[in-house]
Amino acid sequence: MLLLCIYTAEAFANVDRPPIDTLVTDANFAPAKMDLRPYIAVSADEKSTLWPPENFQHQNHIFHPGIKNNGQVNDCWLKLVVKNTSSKALSYRFFTGWHDCMYWYRQPAGQPMQQLMATGLMIDDGGVERWHHYAFHLQVAPNETCTFYLHIINKSYNENPMMPVLFSEEAYNIFHDEQLDSFRKEAVIIQVLLGMLLVFFSISIINYVQLPDRSYLYFAAYILGLILFFALRLDSKPFQLSFFHEWPMLKYYWDIPGLLFCFYLMYLLFGNAFLNLKDRYLFMEKGFTWMAAVVGGLIILCMLCIAFDKYHLPTIIYSYVYFLTLAPLLAVFIALARRSRHHPLVRFFLYGSACLYLACLGSFLLQVKPLGLLGALGELAAPTTLLMGGVLLQAMFFLAGLSYRNKLVHLERTRTQELLIKQLNKNKELQRKLNEQLEELVREQTTEILRKKQELEEQRKIQLETEYDKKLTEIELKAIRAQINPHFIFNCLNSIQLFVMQRDYELAQKYLSDFSYLIRKTLDFSRRNFISLSEEITYLNTYLGLEKMRFENRMEYEIVVDPEIIAAELEIPAMLLQPYVENAVKHGMTNPKQPTGLLRIYFNQVAPDMLECVIADNGIGIARSKSLRTLPKHHQSSGMEISQNRAELLNKMYRTDIHIEIIDKSVEDEANSGTIVKIFIPQL
Amino acid sequence: MIKAIIIDDERNSRDIIALMLERYCPEISIAAVATDCSDGISKILEHRPSLVFLDLEMPDGTGFDVLAGTLPQLHFEAIFVTAFEKKFIHIIRFSDVELILKPIDKESLLQAVANVSKRIANQEPNQRYQILLENFNNQEADDWKILLTGPDDVSNTINIDDISWIELYQEYTLFSLLNGQQLISAQSFRYYSDLFSPLQFYQINNTQMIQLGSIKHIDTGKNKIEMKSGHTLDITERRQRDLMQRTGHR
Repeated sequence: MLLLCIYTAEAFANVDRPPIDTLVTDANFAPAKMDLRPYIAVSADEKSTLWPPENFQHQNHIFHPGIKNNGQVNDCWLKLVVKNTSSKALSYRFFTGWHDCMYWYRQPAGQPMQQLMATGLMIDDGGVERWHHYAFHLQVAPNETCTFYLHIINKSYNENPMMPVLFSEEAYNIFHDEQLDSFRKEAVIIQVLLGMLLVFFSISIINYVQLPDRSYLYFAAYILGLILFFALRLDSKPFQLSFFHEWPMLKYYWDIPGLLFCFYLMYLLFGNAFLNLKDRYLFMEKGFTWMAAVVGGLIILCMLCIAFDKYHLPTIIYSYVYFLTLAPLLAVFIALARRSRHHPLVRFFLYGSACLYLACLGSFLLQVKPLGLLGALGELAAPTTLLMGGVLLQAMFFLAGLSYRNKLVHLERTRTQELLIKQLNKNKELQRKLNEQLEELVREQTTEILRKKQELEEQRKIQLETEYDKKLTEIELKAIRAQINPHFIFNCLNSIQLFVMQRDYELAQKYLSDFSYLIRKTLDFSRRNFISLSEEITYLNTYLGLEKMRFENRMEYEIVVDPEIIAAELEIPAMLLQPYVENAVKHGMTNPKQPTGLLRIYFNQVAPDMLECVIADNGIGIARSKSLRTLPKHHQSSGMEISQNRAELLNKMYRTDIHIEIIDKSVEDEANSGTIVKIFIPQL
Repeated sequence: MIKAIIIDDERNSRDIIALMLERYCPEISIAAVATDCSDGISKILEHRPSLVFLDLEMPDGTGFDVLAGTLPQLHFEAIFVTAFEKKFIHIIRFSDVELILKPIDKESLLQAVANVSKRIANQEPNQRYQILLENFNNQEADDWKILLTGPDDVSNTINIDDISWIELYQEYTLFSLLNGQQLISAQSFRYYSDLFSPLQFYQINNTQMIQLGSIKHIDTGKNKIEMKSGHTLDITERRQRDLMQRTGHR
């Protein structure tokens, strides 16, 4: 910088020299460095692009030692006529500064013009070598006069220093080295900045991967924008190269639009996401969003302008944006600052912003003096140390803010997780309790059901037992009742009553004693299951005797026992025969062909362990007896059935096989009539 | 004099009836005796008695057969005499026909004779014997008819299933019918409760017996029974449980 100042100051010293048309060199001409302004004729005719215009004049005002904002495209032709009068060929370097487009022509006298070089910041992509292009070779053969033209087009808003200087080769090398050194220092600073920004960028990207928060993304975009901006800035200064030098136009596209993108669009979006404005300051959030949208539009507009070669318009737009947003931003900062007590993130944001803006302002003020207001504006983000420090500080604050925010989020998350865990534990506890209750309930109900089932079963069992007992008792009762017909009993009593009334006491007494015996035996037998055959025979004798008396000898009976049988030792079920005998008495009396009923009872030993008992009558027979029945069905006697049941019951109870056969005599022989009942009683 | 015939297959029975009538009921003269059904029917047709002493079971039939064989032509009163014939007792009692059990008790004989004598004197129609035969021929006891004779000797015939409930009424029995009518029988409540117990009747307390078919609703909470006729009767706790079990209610 210092060198540049010295150089420019020296250059200014020669401003007021009178113009000279031709540079005449002789053998003594050997300056190391020479101010060519007096020899340069200038034409600012914009129409001629390929051919030099006619009207060249000396216009010293076009030259300036520092950066200058022209406010328009500067398209000019410089003309230098050199006359070599010496015998040596003249070889010098012609240097006017670093410009956007430069075309170097040489026209020896009387010969056509030829283009020797086309270079410039906008068109030269030759890498670090291109910086040599900017000092054009000025070679004139001995005794030759040559006219040189330099067509300079500066489209960008700021024009680099423009001073025509003639260097000897040695002097130019020294100048070149000096320039290289001075710009390299700047480049190192920028590259350090770029390195730091890259680190920030990586950090934010890593953070974003770990915690997908949009503010990281905006921050990363902001940093990326800055990286790109500063990298391209390298390209716009001599002897500094970025990776993008192959696309020389890129630096213009990412100049003002880059500033807008970084310091407005991403800044706003970042602020929005970082401060959670949506939740806290809804009004501000809306303002930010709208502003961001407008800035986005402006970025596109600026790029369009650049595409159409209107490099000054973006500057104007930017200056308006800059000045118009100053007050609102200040207001926003104040508003945020007032609430910063409750919101620590705001502090990071504010400090970061303040750093940048102060650095920006400082940088601006520093540059206003040499460049003027508008010129300084364009260089607002020029990589001055102050500004870069500001940018770095801001980025660091923002990054710290992001970390802090991360911590907050983490804390929040931890708290939420703790709450969640607490809730989960509570739920688990609740579930466990519920399960326990449910189990308890199920257990209770199961017990209840089991109990009820058991109860029911018991009840059923009891019921069944009761029913069984009842049925058994009933059958037994019926059986006992069937043993002796009540009809018979009461008729007997009736007879006794008659004898008493007739005063036939002897008969009454016999009748009464027989009847008593019968009743006693019946009661006795009903308590026993088995009686001896002799007892049974006595019983039947008594019974039949009473019946015979009742029926006035219309009935005869006999009981025949097989002599082989020892009646006292054989056992038969008590009262098994009685119903059949009674039936035989009843039916034996109903045969009109037989005036006297005849009843025969035989006891035979048909097998060693089988007693056969035959009860035969001469009645009408069981078949006819049934058909003669006049009673409706439901009134019929069931005495026989009962004794059949009784036989079955006995079989079941004593596991014997008592077997009863009933035969109608008439079935075998028509002439005969009567019923034969055969009862087979197995002997144990 | 009341002309009577004795029909019994046992001589001892005939003799005792004849003897007792001779001794205690001189106003009854025995016109003839018969030993079985067919003999009985012919004797009745021959002598046209006002009163017949009728055995229930005989070798060639029952006392009902005798009635069935003679009633269409003749009008007489009958007194059944039987030793033990449970299954027929119901039928006889439903039609309020006289029944004496052997051995014959003097008081029962006198009461029965007095009752029939009154009817003979009043020349009452033989309605009860028709009911007797009808019931005899009807299998379903619940479809039977019953003849009620009030203290004023007025007789009414009703269907068993018309009865809503019966209850003790002084020494008599009050019949409440489904149609709201009320009748009084000179017989005791005990007499009917015994008579109805095998049928679809249930004694709900000491003085009332209802026909199960006339129950509308059982209010278990209040121990009340609502009848279809709209009356509400009380039931004792124990009997209510028993009734629920019997009717299969829940």
